[in-house]
Amino acid sequence: MLARVADSLYWIGRYVERAEHMCRLSDVMLSATLDRSEAATQVARIALAAVGDPDVAKAKSPYEAALALTLDKEDDGSILCSISRARENARQVRDQITTETWERLNLIYLRMTDPNAGRSFADGSQLFLHDTIADLHLFKGAGDATMSHGEGWSFLLLGVYLERAQLIGSLLEVAFGETRRRRPLGDHFALTSVLRMGCALEPYLRVYTAEMRPRYILQFLLLDEDFPRSIRFCAQEIEGHLSAIIRHAGLAGSVGPDRLAGRLRARMQYADLDEIEAGGASAFLKTVLDECAAIHRSLYDTFVAYPLEDRLPA
Amino acid sequence: MSVRRDEPAPENATAPVAGPYDEMLTPDGQVRPHYAALDARLATLTPDELAERQRTQERFFLLQGITFTVYGAESTTERIIPSDILPRIIAGAEWARIEAGLAQRLRALNMFLADIYSEQQILMDGVVPRELVLNAPSYRREMQNLYVPHKAYANVCGSDLIRQENGEFAVLEDNLRVPSGVSYMLANREASRRVFPGTFRSAGVRSIDRYPDLLLATLKSMAADWRPNPQVVVLTPGVYNSAYYEHAYLARLMGVPLVEGRDLVVHDNMVYMRTTTGLRRIDVIYRRVDDDFIDPLTFRRDSSLGAAGLFNAYRAGNVVICNAPGTGVADDKAVYAYVPEMIRYYLGEDAILPNIETYLCREKAQLSHVLANLDKLVVKAVGASGGYGMLVGPHSTKAQQAEFAEALKADPDNYIAQPTIQLSTAPCLIDHAVEPRHVDLRPFILSGEKIVVTPGALTRVALKKGSLVVNSSQGGGSKDTWVLSDTKGDRS
Repeated sequence: MLARVADSLYWIGRYVERAEHMCRLSDVMLSATLDRSEAATQVARIALAAVGDPDVAKAKSPYEAALALTLDKEDDGSILCSISRARENARQVRDQITTETWERLNLIYLRMTDPNAGRSFADGSQLFLHDTIADLHLFKGAGDATMSHGEGWSFLLLGVYLERAQLIGSLLEVAFGETRRRRPLGDHFALTSVLRMGCALEPYLRVYTAEMRPRYILQFLLLDEDFPRSIRFCAQEIEGHLSAIIRHAGLAGSVGPDRLAGRLRARMQYADLDEIEAGGASAFLKTVLDECAAIHRSLYDTFVAYPLEDRLPA
Repeated sequence: MSVRRDEPAPENATAPVAGPYDEMLTPDGQVRPHYAALDARLATLTPDELAERQRTQERFFLLQGITFTVYGAESTTERIIPSDILPRIIAGAEWARIEAGLAQRLRALNMFLADIYSEQQILMDGVVPRELVLNAPSYRREMQNLYVPHKAYANVCGSDLIRQENGEFAVLEDNLRVPSGVSYMLANREASRRVFPGTFRSAGVRSIDRYPDLLLATLKSMAADWRPNPQVVVLTPGVYNSAYYEHAYLARLMGVPLVEGRDLVVHDNMVYMRTTTGLRRIDVIYRRVDDDFIDPLTFRRDSSLGAAGLFNAYRAGNVVICNAPGTGVADDKAVYAYVPEMIRYYLGEDAILPNIETYLCREKAQLSHVLANLDKLVVKAVGASGGYGMLVGPHSTKAQQAEFAEALKADPDNYIAQPTIQLSTAPCLIDHAVEPRHVDLRPFILSGEKIVVTPGALTRVALKKGSLVVNSSQGGGSKDTWVLSDTKGDRS
């Protein structure tokens, strides 16, 4: 597979995952602030901080914040921008993805860039976000069902899971990191909202019942083996797809991204929540996020931007 | 709904005015036999139903991303090239003649290219003026004495045919450089099969689905004598090129990588692409990048669309570039005038498809004829394409004519002129009504080990009423072209 193509597929995965996560944050923020409680403002603040927006004043006008987050053309972090970039990458590798997959993504793009998109959002912002999330699921589903699960697919999913691990990591840091928070988050409503932002509420209830505790949530979103949005699950997937790629490339045995991915997976698999809490969630999350960033760099050095001298025929 | 007939000739008209040929209707308003099935189907559809189908078709193109990008000051938008839902239909026997004519023509053009890039016998025999060929900007000295397998220089050719007032097809232009439009031929087909499934089935339309694998076979045949299973790639200038959709489409349907210049590495006269697993050797490049841009070391230095050293690898015989560089000299608008001579010279046959009568302004006598008739002729700049640099006499102002007269006198070599041909008309759906619009025909011919003509074409439409310009850059659209498999319904 062309290095440029692998790069584009990887970024499609990242941008699609980012867009989906942003949709969910906006959605939770909008629905939380329907009632004007202190907890609701707190939720809006968490959502904005998880997005990376330092301006907490925006939590006072959540609708405007959500609108900008969704459709702002100028903002690099907006959902529209992520979707545009995913689609632009898809267009550059149009020959590598199936028509079914392309159509799903193109459809989302066309809806978001439609001149009437602003009005649709105003008419029913949560419906708009909900539909976008559903269409993003269809995109992943169409890819899963129609694309070959070979090297290209692995690069796409590497993008998805690396992005997801980083997004969930940032969310947990905002909600539970002691560097940000003087007082632990205790409100039932706020805790439920955090789970919603991670699309984790229903699976959580099945494991821990309706008992909301920061410790359980942390345990679930960090260390659950089966939940697809826990960082442990992401680490397993990252390692799996990387080793598939490496097998395909015939590079087995060399150290590089696979060593880093293996270490992250082991860290998550054998982690102990008591130890994590003893050392502070923030410190642990920082290590995890740093390791994700290192895997990203190593991927580039190995598969995309490798020095030519090493690869020329003798 | 019924098909709107052209307005009747004025009552006092004595001699028949040479109006355009109507693809569907005879001069007395009868539906030609090969259009009968479509006509019957149209009669059962209301204008709203037709318009609904047109909208569905546009939606299909948009969703597939069959668009071109319009760069504006404020924003960048993507538009579809208008595609008309009513197919243009060609009877079987008529197609047989077109097919034979196209194959004959490309055979002669390839022989011409092989000749001028080696012995130049045709120039020595004075059949084609020497300076016309050697001074053409599209003539590539670098190609001299370079081995081209099967002497197939133009592997993909898209010729523009038009039907004249007398119903005869003639060749307007040969496109031997990087002809585009084949993806529209295939996409239009996919769409029209959905719009008129029943009519399509019963009419016996010949299939064009094999184009991608025939193209791949043609490209592979170019390296077959030194590689049993050559690595083929499509080279695109990138996503910002207006034909990018087509490049990606062909690569996808052939199952070969779509590469850009930045993916290529030339080392020791071998061409490689950067893959995730290192460098992989390339044998055949179907390039959709113009000659000038394929190799900054040999051609334009400021180009980043090709790969440095590519041409040397080609010269060394380690890679094949398709179409070969330098094919443009054979579709030069002035050289065009000599193609019937070439066919006679190389094949000893008469041209099956005639040329349009062409005046070369470089000849003094012809120049004065052109200058005296600027209001009747179409004048074209030899180097330009896409409908630019053109004067359509009957539709021009005195000022435009004066401007061209000056240009002609200043640089006569750069211009040719042709009579204004009334392109034939075919029924098109325009705002809920079926109306005739002018069309041309671009079939695609492949040549490698052998020559293959795909039984179909891109029919381009001048959507503006009365317009004769079909180029998509100037308000043109396209429609599907049905070539019927039987010979019934031959033109009568």
